[in-house]
Amino acid sequence: MIDIEKLHKSFGKNDVLKGISAHIEQGEVVAVIGPSGSGKSTFLRCINFLEVPTSGRIVYQGEEVTAHAAKLQAVRKRIGMVFQHFHLFPHMTVLENITYAPITVNKVGKATAVQKARELLQKVGLADKENEYPNRLSGGQKQRVAIARALAMEPEVILFDEPTSALDPEMVKEVLEVMKSLAHSGITMVIVTHEMGFAKEVADRVLFLDGGLLVEDASPAQFFAAPKSERAQAFLEKVL
Amino acid sequence: MKKSSWLLLTILMVTISSMLFTPFQQHAAAQGKHAKTLVMGTSADYAPYEFVDTKKSSDVIGFDVDIARKIADRLGYNLEIKDMDFNGLIPALDANRVDFVMAGMTPNAERKKKIDFSSVYYKASQMIVTNQKSIKKVKDLQGKTIGVQLGSIQEKEAKKIASQVNDVAIDKQNKVTDLVEQLKSGRMDAAVIEDGVAVEYLNKNPDLSGFKIPHSDATGTAIALPKNSALTEKFNEQIATMKKNGDIEKIAKKWFEPKKKASDEKRAIIDFSEIFPSVPFILKGIVTTLQFVVVSIIFGFLLGTLLALCKIGGVKPLRWFADAYTSIFRGTPLILQLIVIYNATPQVTGYKISAFVAGVLTFGLNSAAYVSEIIRGGINAVDKGQREASMALGIPKSAMMRQIILPQALKNILPSLMNEFITLTKESAIVAVIGTMDIMRRAQIVSADSYRYLEPLLVAGVIYYVMVMILTVLGRMLERRMSRSD
Repeated sequence: MIDIEKLHKSFGKNDVLKGISAHIEQGEVVAVIGPSGSGKSTFLRCINFLEVPTSGRIVYQGEEVTAHAAKLQAVRKRIGMVFQHFHLFPHMTVLENITYAPITVNKVGKATAVQKARELLQKVGLADKENEYPNRLSGGQKQRVAIARALAMEPEVILFDEPTSALDPEMVKEVLEVMKSLAHSGITMVIVTHEMGFAKEVADRVLFLDGGLLVEDASPAQFFAAPKSERAQAFLEKVL
Repeated sequence: MKKSSWLLLTILMVTISSMLFTPFQQHAAAQGKHAKTLVMGTSADYAPYEFVDTKKSSDVIGFDVDIARKIADRLGYNLEIKDMDFNGLIPALDANRVDFVMAGMTPNAERKKKIDFSSVYYKASQMIVTNQKSIKKVKDLQGKTIGVQLGSIQEKEAKKIASQVNDVAIDKQNKVTDLVEQLKSGRMDAAVIEDGVAVEYLNKNPDLSGFKIPHSDATGTAIALPKNSALTEKFNEQIATMKKNGDIEKIAKKWFEPKKKASDEKRAIIDFSEIFPSVPFILKGIVTTLQFVVVSIIFGFLLGTLLALCKIGGVKPLRWFADAYTSIFRGTPLILQLIVIYNATPQVTGYKISAFVAGVLTFGLNSAAYVSEIIRGGINAVDKGQREASMALGIPKSAMMRQIILPQALKNILPSLMNEFITLTKESAIVAVIGTMDIMRRAQIVSADSYRYLEPLLVAGVIYYVMVMILTVLGRMLERRMSRSD
């Protein structure tokens, strides 16, 4: 579904990604893990071109993604994204946050969009919050709204960029629960995360990045039980 | 922004655009029995030549006006009067904004370089007016400061005095009312004023005394016309006729006859009783000022937003343009921009821009420079994540700007914007210079009519203050409304 070929990205003199190639299958749940500064977030952000790669190719459904604005927009609306800091629109209510893009971008009728948004809010357990403004919500609630917002566009893939890192510990679970139920629905997910337990339990595959390189690409069982590389072993020792 | 806010904005815009066009309708209403109309320029702060009896109406009346009406009527024209600052009269003539000027104007060589004059219709001599008992003749002016109206024939006369008497300083003011006020406040010792005008001041101010300057330039007042105007000859014929049949004398008698002397009792420093009947005249200026301010604010805001987008956008030439624009409009005085736009537009483009439109244009263009900086700052202060979230959802750039970024930026910059709007409201008083009948200009006219300087200005001050207070309250309400998402 997504082919990533020899992805390089540098910010000035700082080479963050040093040639990463990977393939993500339809319906797969892929966890991207690694020490901080390993380039996981940059890797994820390159997939929908929030960062423009220095070199390399992203092929999405057989079609190359380029920086061309119109094409990019067409691809992005098929790829959802959930951010570490939620980035809900603070001047819109929860319902407006969710319905805005479907109405504006996908030209869905308002009634349809609202109905769909309510279903999604039900799904993430926030049916009673549709008229609240984001600032009235807890972190966990915000992130669940953000997930609903991404889902409202009916994407083929959702990218999660450390979705629980900015949350208070007691709220992590509610977000992971939502993500878990999503994983079972068959949608393709790429998740940058520090939640090893979640990666172990939910992911079909683990990508371990370190120093801008893809060091290991394995099933969770294999990766967590017997990591091949020394760097992965050292990393797991620290976090587990 | 919510739908209802947009609706509100739309209603506001419609109201304003309808307000914008009323000044033109008022112009069109100046019709009479003839098919054609002549436009006369004057500065209605020079009683009894031209002034407004503000207790009664908003019409400009006086000696010059009566003569102009008679001449226009005889030639088969209606007369429309345009009031403006005295210094703006010759530029207005030059720019074909008015057909002729009557403002107690004396022909002199300097003026003749730019414009033509009719024959003299009235001869006046110059007077020294003073509140010092010791000044009784020209010689007594040694070491004194004498005031004159800038660019007037009296300025010439004062220079002549300065060349004959030692140590005479000349102080140039914009209006005769300014002169009298400066006299009273002791900033000058005497003023050179035309006798017909001086008589009025002497009548109303028991403190003042005056004497005629011997051998003063009694060249008299004439009608100013554009160079080689076809009207000059016709005007001269009429003046000759009116001189012969005694019409001019009759009109002069009506206006220049000394009125009964004011009582000798000392006038209070501040006395509102005299200008009280003129307050409605000043209040009418609120409509003009409001129209002016509201249209300027909206124009400035829209243009400022556009400029801000140019500044943060990726197109380099646009960014350069917006930066240069801001630097020019912030780097030069507003009053200079106003006069340049008002007088240069007709000369460059041939379009006779009205004082109102010139004012709105200047203030809008000027305000846009400041607003663009405020908005640019506001946009840059919006969290980068908002842009990324929009991009990730595939929201097109224009929609993202309009509906995601700008509403958030606006909320943050509202206090700064309100500040800019308040400044604009107060500074709108500057348009009085080009003769828009706003609060300030009306206050000036009342002060010329009532010979009371301070009181009309205080009234105007209170009106401006109340307007600013209302604006402040509205701003707070808007702020509260916008912060309901907090």
